[in-house]
Amino acid sequence: MSDLLQFVVAGLSSGAIYALVAMGFVAVFSVSGVINLAQGEFAAIAGLSALSFTDAGLPLPVAMLLALLVVAVVAVLMQRLAIAPVRRMTTLVSIILTLGVSTALKALLLLIYGPQGRGLAPLPGADLVIGGVSVRAQELWILGITAVVAVAVAVFYDRTVLGKALRACAEQPIAARLVGISPKAAATVAFAVAGLLGAVAGVLASPIQLTQWDSGLLLGLKGFVAATLGGLVSIRGAVLGGLVLGVLESLTAGYIDSGYRDAVAFVLLIVVLVARPGGVFGRHAEARV
Amino acid sequence: MFGSAKRLAVLLAAGALLAAGCAEEQPAPGAQGGEAETGPFKIGAVLDITGAGASLGVPERDTLTLLTEQLNAQGGIDGRQVEMIIEDNASTEDGAARAATKLITEDQVDILLGASRTGPSLAMRPIAESTPIPMISLAANAAIVNGSQWVFKTAQNDSVVIENIVRDAASKGYRTLALARDASGFGEGVRELFDEIGGPQGVSVVAVESFAPDATDFTAQMVNVRNANADAVVIWGIPPAAGLAQKAYVQLGVGKPVYQSHGIGNQVFLDTAAEAADGLVAPLGRLVVADQLPEDDPQKKVITDFVAAYRAEYDAAPSTFAGHAYDGFQLAVDALRNAGTEPDAIRQHLEGVDDFVGVSGTFTMSPDDHSGLTADDLVLVTVANKQFQLVQ
Repeated sequence: MSDLLQFVVAGLSSGAIYALVAMGFVAVFSVSGVINLAQGEFAAIAGLSALSFTDAGLPLPVAMLLALLVVAVVAVLMQRLAIAPVRRMTTLVSIILTLGVSTALKALLLLIYGPQGRGLAPLPGADLVIGGVSVRAQELWILGITAVVAVAVAVFYDRTVLGKALRACAEQPIAARLVGISPKAAATVAFAVAGLLGAVAGVLASPIQLTQWDSGLLLGLKGFVAATLGGLVSIRGAVLGGLVLGVLESLTAGYIDSGYRDAVAFVLLIVVLVARPGGVFGRHAEARV
Repeated sequence: MFGSAKRLAVLLAAGALLAAGCAEEQPAPGAQGGEAETGPFKIGAVLDITGAGASLGVPERDTLTLLTEQLNAQGGIDGRQVEMIIEDNASTEDGAARAATKLITEDQVDILLGASRTGPSLAMRPIAESTPIPMISLAANAAIVNGSQWVFKTAQNDSVVIENIVRDAASKGYRTLALARDASGFGEGVRELFDEIGGPQGVSVVAVESFAPDATDFTAQMVNVRNANADAVVIWGIPPAAGLAQKAYVQLGVGKPVYQSHGIGNQVFLDTAAEAADGLVAPLGRLVVADQLPEDDPQKKVITDFVAAYRAEYDAAPSTFAGHAYDGFQLAVDALRNAGTEPDAIRQHLEGVDDFVGVSGTFTMSPDDHSGLTADDLVLVTVANKQFQLVQ
């Protein structure tokens, strides 16, 4: 029993990271129909820049906040320079385009930071053992911060004017323009939100998983799968998708074979796309083209 | 329809002729023209500079660059300069095969070094054997050189590492071991070796878990290792994975004595595992405990000179992987100096290497032994306060 709980705890903490990345996918896709394959790179940039800030002697919380800021700026720049100028953006074009941006960002990170991975210092706190289940302080931080961020994002979209405007762009783009919401401004805000979400994932995961130039690749793929589980347009779906994926991976590694761990996400992706293209947690199974 | 087929045939024929013409102009790899006798010696290295093996490949690259500069500044080999061409295989097997082929056919190197890890080295082996060109791998698994004609290696064989672990385990009365091993080439066959070497001494492996070399979560493996309830645990991997596994081992309270392999001899391991590494035992080359070696140790001078030169250039202590690169470079240079660039002469020279004092050990090779190191070339090392300590 304690084994099962141990696997679930490990799965939830890696799942929370996937959930953060997945929310970033949803933030961008739901507003502009863009699938941003550089979402994982936001996490890598955050981890690496936080590392260089702590190297420069800044305290950990300051370094983490600065890293969030850096990534938000990178995300907005990416939207302005690479996404906004494209006249007729389709989802397919966006995939090719952002794949290019992702490759370029990875190359840049490799040039700046070199090939070796490093980990940020963990957030303060003592590791616990509860009923034979060991929980690291960093895992509690990850779960707590992810919960707070998820609620904040939900409140942002449901309650604030800006959030409602973004949702309006997603649901009724023409009507949204008619009432004076600029789709360009909306897309920029969406990218900033996505950048922040990816960056939070990056700085939280770094102490446990280490960060290197290509960390974003797998994180981005897993986050994309998690977002797809939720139908790519639902924040709640993305969070649930991330957690479910993390736990499934952990159970597969524990009870079947750790070699199949990374295969779980992709098997799941195929099953979902074939059986329920609208997402497992979506209310209606309808493909958004 | 007919016309286009005919045109195609003509084109194909022209292409074939052109290819034949080119092939004639290019000397076969390894064959030497008059120009090569005076030009620089060419050494090609294929290293795991990016990807899972980065913590191995980067110091190896730095070492080869440093040694080449030093050698050329001193006039090269008998007045001829040495050109070092380093390729990154991105820690992949296909990348290693591509890079090796490129170095052989395009750059026409005289000798191949690499790769950093077992898997990519195994991918290079058939290319070196069929060319043929002498190759010196920097990786561990004995399968790289078993039965090979053209492939040599400098990292200590996994079998001599396991001999050390089994000897220590048996002397402390541990009879059962749980093994968590790298799922790639480095961990391949390790269980079988433990069975083979441990069997006669009454030490057996009762559980095996594996992890990808780029894995970040070791909960599953360590929970299963804990449940195996063996007398001791062996973690067999390279940093950072080996360090993260060591951390998970402590965090999940496995609570048994732990051995690591010779794959952990670098700062990345110490940084990743941090306090969790305290008390582990690992058979490592003497390099990591250079300052603690007795004065009469035959390797002392070679190692301290190398450490000093590396420190002066890179402001950091060299890892054992840097040491494997050092040995590969020195063996290659020694062979080029004495045997020239004729592949078969280089091979015969390497097979005759006798009492060659290097950083990873003292090499004595033969036609049957292309590794040349024994269990005595390793010392048992533990970790205390993020420092390697010689076990007395």
